[in-house]
Amino acid sequence: MSDESHLDELFQRYRAACPEVEPSANFMPLLWHKIESRHNFWFVFQGLARAVATASAAVCLLLLILNLAAAPKVQSTGPTYTDALMADHTAERTYYTEALRNTPPSMEGQDATPRH
Amino acid sequence: MLVEPELIEKARGGDAPAFNQLVLAYRKRILGTISRLIGRPEDVEDVAQEVFVRLYYSLDQLRAPEVFEPWLYRLTINAAYDYLRRSKRRKESRMADLSDQQVTMADSLAGGRRETEDREKSRVREFMDALFRHVSEEDRLLLMLKEVEGLSLKELEEVYHVKENALKVRLFRARQRVLKAYNAAVADGKL
Repeated sequence: MSDESHLDELFQRYRAACPEVEPSANFMPLLWHKIESRHNFWFVFQGLARAVATASAAVCLLLLILNLAAAPKVQSTGPTYTDALMADHTAERTYYTEALRNTPPSMEGQDATPRH
Repeated sequence: MLVEPELIEKARGGDAPAFNQLVLAYRKRILGTISRLIGRPEDVEDVAQEVFVRLYYSLDQLRAPEVFEPWLYRLTINAAYDYLRRSKRRKESRMADLSDQQVTMADSLAGGRRETEDREKSRVREFMDALFRHVSEEDRLLLMLKEVEGLSLKELEEVYHVKENALKVRLFRARQRVLKAYNAAVADGKL
């Protein structure tokens, strides 16, 4: 007989050697008692959790309303800084057009090569 | 399965008498498994009740009545494992921890054939418990379910939610460790 089968046999003997456990008469009443006590705990816990969640939501809403009411009203009377920047950088005012504009009138129409 | 799928469906729907019947059908099997897993007769009922309380509160999450037994085994293993973790911290005195002299004294008080059988059984249990100390708690539970409770690899796959091959490897390693301890014990003449 190999070691493996010895071990298998030992496992079987172990199973046979473990005593059969009979449930006591109090097993079911105690079980239901435990289920109900945990049920009560969960009921109270859930109730508390729900109350806390509702209160938190109410406080958040209140703070949001207060925040909106207290915020200073920003009136846009004139052009903003970004508007001014946009106006200054139109498509016409590129580096090339700026160079043309700055060229003196005397040089306009002259070629780069000297005439003979 | 020890019960009809309809009974599980009823219990899942919150039917208390159906749940009661379910517990009555499975409690002896669960008590036996827990007794082998935790090895302390005084706490077996307590852990079994914890299993059924957990079952009561998680039954609505059960996918189908067909997987009820692996589900119940899973709850049993978890409850047994939780208990073992708790009791490790408590370090209670138990029969297995008594000195040889105390055990011999207890043995000498017993007499007759029944007592001899009981003594033999107790010797087998103690020997196996000593072998199981060579593997981790997780591996001991796995070996116990496979070799002693007789669960198939398919059932273990359902219980642990682990692929069969991984389970095979783990079981093989655990078995090898136990076998090594067994051979050492045989060589020392302990068996």
